[in-house]
Order: sequence, then C-alpha cells, then structure tokens
Amino acid sequence: MTIENVLLISGALFAIGAYGAVSRRSLITVIMSLELMFNGVVIAAVAFSRFTPSAALLSGDPLTAEAIRSALTGHAFAIFVTAVAAGEAALAFALVFAMYRATESVEITDASEMKN
Amino acid sequence: MMAIMEVSTLTTIAFWAASAMTLGFAVIVVTQRDVFRAAIALAGSFLGVGILYFVLSAEFVGVVQILVYVGAISVLMAFAVMFIQDIASGSRPAQGRLVGAVAAVLIFAALAFTAYNTEWSSMDEITDPVAVTALTEGFVEVGTGDDIVIEAPGFVDDEQVVIPNGGVFVDSTGSVGVLLVREYMLAFEIIGLLLVASLIGGLLLMRDPVTTDEPEKGSASV
Repeated sequence: MTIENVLLISGALFAIGAYGAVSRRSLITVIMSLELMFNGVVIAAVAFSRFTPSAALLSGDPLTAEAIRSALTGHAFAIFVTAVAAGEAALAFALVFAMYRATESVEITDASEMKN
Repeated sequence: MMAIMEVSTLTTIAFWAASAMTLGFAVIVVTQRDVFRAAIALAGSFLGVGILYFVLSAEFVGVVQILVYVGAISVLMAFAVMFIQDIASGSRPAQGRLVGAVAAVLIFAALAFTAYNTEWSSMDEITDPVAVTALTEGFVEVGTGDDIVIEAPGFVDDEQVVIPNGGVFVDSTGSVGVLLVREYMLAFEIIGLLLVASLIGGLLLMRDPVTTDEPEKGSASV
C-alpha cells in the first residue's frame, strides 16, 4: 500500500462515478454517481494526509502543536466535504420529488424545460 | 528512529480487499438497471470506502463515513426509490453512454498517470525526532500562552502546565477535534449554517404547492 495505489483507487472511483453521471437517465442514479465522485475525492485527501508530511513539519521552524496537528488537515477536509455532501443529497432529493410532482417523471431527458 | 508509517502485510491485504469491495459495488451502481438494487450496492460501496479510511488510520473519518453515508444517505436514497413508484421499471441508459465511457477512461488515465509520475514527498523527510515521536507516540505541550514548547512524552516539569497528547496518527480523533475547533473554527460554524440552509431549502421545495393562499387567476374575477 503506497500513496500511488491509494490515488489509483481514488481515481478509479471518481472515473466510475463520472461515467454513471453522464450515462444514466434516471436522476436518482445520477445523484448516486455524484456521491461516488465525492467519495473518490475524499479518499485522495485522506491518502495525502496519511503519506505526505505537511509543510509546517518540513520547514525546520521550532515545533508547535499547530504544526503537529496540521498533519491531519486532510481529515478535517474529509469531514467538511462529507457535511457538504449530506446537505447536497438532501437538497437534490427535494428537487427530484419536486420534479416528479410536476412532470410525473424522474428522467433527465424530461427536465429540459424550465416551465412546465 | 522508527519509520513513521510502516505498512504491514495484513494492512495491505485489507487495503486491496476494501478497494475491491468499493470499486465492485461502484460498478454495480452505474450498470444496474434496477434502481433499488443500485441503492443497496451504493451502501456497499460507501462501506468499502469507510473500511479504506480505517486502513489509512483515519478512524474518525471512517466512523463519520459509516454514520453519514451508510446510515443516512443510503437510507435517503432507498426512500426516494420507494417513494417514486414507476422507477421499478428500471432506468434506461442515456445516449451519452459511449461518450461517458471514453470520458471516464480518459479521466482515469490522466489521474493514474499523475499519481505514478509525480515525486510525492515522503514521511521519511521529517528529520526532527520530536516531530516523529509526536506523530507516532505522542507529545506534551509545556507552558501557557505564547510560550508553549513541545517535548517528548514522559516530560515532567513541576512549575509549568504540562498537557499530554496522544500520537497524531495513532490517536487521530482527539487531534481532529482540536483542529476543527481551533484552526477551522469559522469553516466549522459555516458548515452548521449550510446544513440549516439546506434543511430549510429542502422543506421549501417539498412543500405541497396546493396549499398556497394565492387565489387562482380564473377565480379572482368572480
């Protein structure tokens, strides 16, 4: 397990999600694919946190607690992305329901008009 | 000096198993015609990612992943699928399938090329022995205010305040908590605001349009 391997998995997950986002017609599966892409990005962030040192630790300045904890910046990033993704999923499904109520369909090809 | 992050054989096996689980379920999500089965496979993929976080020694992120993604978002997806009845007929693929496949392969090729052709800096470049110990075993903060000095674990001083901390990588939960409420305090608060806004926005979008007070255009002239 090296950083290259983890980035490879992260890139594969992102690419699978990208394929799903453009190749599916149901809005629900498109949203699922977007969540897969989110996960791919977060894996990369955690991998960088785990395998590469933060700049503050390499600078040679006197060691501070902030510099030591900055090794976990990727984890903080992961938590923020997860929170944003949760809010995004809730809003996206509200939009799907609103569209279903208006057009009796959840296919993206039926969502080409702004006004019903 | 011990290496900061030794990777054991067991960890490597767990990593590849979790990766196979994640990618396998992800492929099912984007190819399965039955949307409900796709939602179940999505939960499996999220669980695989959660295991990957544990393998990467990010316990807190792994637990958050399982609570938020496997616990909440997957259930939301399943509810959405069950709420919209005619979805059981399956989701037909769109015309952009070939374009999507080519784009995905190109994205993956570019990312893989970058990953393998970049000289990533390594944890071995950290030379300060106190820093290495702080990452793997723990450290103590000595002093107060602007005069805090970092010492190796076990340091005692009867005249000053001494706060022991666990190793950042072996006990990441506490350090992530401190990082969130000190370094990223503003972002942390804004995330709370964002969640409230998306909650209210979701409720507004889901509101039944029939219950509005505005009179109908045709009946207003009566």
